[in-house]
Amino acid sequence: MTAIDAQGTVAAARARRTPRQKRDARVAYAFLAPFLFLLLLFQYVPLAMMAKNAFMDYSLLNPDAAKFVGLLNFSDMLYFDDARESLAATFLFALGVVAIVIPLGFVLALFLDSKLPARGIVRTIIMLPVVTSAVVVATMWNFLLDPSNGLINGVVTAMGLPRQPFLTSPDQALVMIAVMTAWQQVGFAAILFLGGLQGVPKELAEAARIDGATARQVLWNITIPLLSRTTLFVVVIMTVFSLQAFAPAFLMTDGGPQDSTNLIVYHIYKTAFVMQNAGYASALSVLLLVIVLGISLLQMWLLRARWNY
Amino acid sequence: MTRFRKPLLLAAVLALILVCFFAPFLWIVSNSFKPQLGIFSDVTPISWRTFLPLDPVAENYRSLFARTNILHALLNTAIVAAGQVALTLLLCSMAAYALTRITFRGAKAVFVLILLTFLLPVEALLVPLYQVVSGLGLSNTLTGIMIPWIASPFGLFLLKQAFEELPRDLEDAARIDGAGHVRIFVSVILPNVKVPLLTLGLVTFLFSWNSFLWPLVIAQSPDAQVIQVAIAQQGSPTQLPNWGETFAGATVATLPLILLFLLLQKYFTQGMAMSGIKG
Repeated sequence: MTAIDAQGTVAAARARRTPRQKRDARVAYAFLAPFLFLLLLFQYVPLAMMAKNAFMDYSLLNPDAAKFVGLLNFSDMLYFDDARESLAATFLFALGVVAIVIPLGFVLALFLDSKLPARGIVRTIIMLPVVTSAVVVATMWNFLLDPSNGLINGVVTAMGLPRQPFLTSPDQALVMIAVMTAWQQVGFAAILFLGGLQGVPKELAEAARIDGATARQVLWNITIPLLSRTTLFVVVIMTVFSLQAFAPAFLMTDGGPQDSTNLIVYHIYKTAFVMQNAGYASALSVLLLVIVLGISLLQMWLLRARWNY
Repeated sequence: MTRFRKPLLLAAVLALILVCFFAPFLWIVSNSFKPQLGIFSDVTPISWRTFLPLDPVAENYRSLFARTNILHALLNTAIVAAGQVALTLLLCSMAAYALTRITFRGAKAVFVLILLTFLLPVEALLVPLYQVVSGLGLSNTLTGIMIPWIASPFGLFLLKQAFEELPRDLEDAARIDGAGHVRIFVSVILPNVKVPLLTLGLVTFLFSWNSFLWPLVIAQSPDAQVIQVAIAQQGSPTQLPNWGETFAGATVATLPLILLFLLLQKYFTQGMAMSGIKG
């Protein structure tokens, strides 16, 4: 059949759409309408506004008085140190969270995947911080880390070590909120790793054991390589999650000391809602959006090939 | 895995996990039943007194409910969470029905439109979203707190996947009997996806109950305050906190979720694992 014929057939089919098909399409759009309306209003409209507002100078108290300033907000980002410092702190924070969560989450998943006793209890307990809100976790750790009456300093002094300043020290504050966030998220990572482990065919490990491989060899040469997709996935989720962290900076450190924990979302919040510089905050938001989209697209590109074993 | 064969090592690892993940919760809850000075004096030296209230007092809870907005905030949070769950389930399942059970032109374009929002980091949209919602006159309302999250791409994907697994024969019989789309949706499809609906409902409830940044910016008035914002105001370390009362607040804010989690753990875990897809 020639191409022209094929096109003619499609066109004819279109023209011959039955009343039934037309009615179906109407029903489909009626079912979709509420969802799509809210999606456009609360995702696409803000996205377009953000793109526009990044080139404006305005405050949220009086958005109508916005002034077009071209690329000024973006050149300010390069000229002043705040954006660079905030991004550096945020990436360092994300790196810390990922560096703790990946190995610990993996080991916990191995434990949950085994036939050892007390698996159920361990799974419940490591999930408790996951279902607890970021606010309660931050409040809890504020007091755990209190320099004079906190539980952690209680443990530190019981071991004969000097009291630590933790959140009031520019060297320790970021480390402590990364540790806290990792503590909260490691159960989530373990559940994701567990899903991956359960997808690994058991025959491979069994065959290797029969051939004389040790448990350690099976772990390093079979299990871990087979989980590379899952691992990448967990790394990306934890990174994207950490890049959007807000509660620790807001509740525990006010971004300090010396801006050492001025996480980007907290910086955006303060710029827009406290300093009333919404144009600059929009430009910072565009930057965050581009970074997160970039990471997500990189992940999709890396996972484009199905690495089948 | 055979790595933890030695029972002693296993017991040590278990104890460590228990201490690291459970002790902070125990410390908070037991201290919510102690007077301030008792909390301080029990920290050093560390002993079982640190984690158990020997003379429990309800004073912290009494002053929490008498002095603060917490009861009102709890009620607000329950209303927001219930509304958000109900509307999310309704809108997402309707949209999933259209995309999986009806063939129509433009289906692919609609799907791509939804797929793209999946990658958007919500925190980055904070400022313009605030302008949209307050522009609609919804700041300081419970509606304003929940409405941006109802059209949830994650919810749609979760349900779309579940709907696709249902066999076609299911609705064919109903169609021959003359049932229309609304009847098939309500009495054939929905009764067959109870578990995915429950899973999505739980995850939505969790996110709604725990959400903080959005309620903080859109609903600052005491009337529309939700629990996380109320707790955050109370627990700020800069203003000489009442430790016991703060701990009581944290306990009250967390207990409903923990109970729900313990009851329905399987579905929670499943839902969280799937929410990872969103990233």
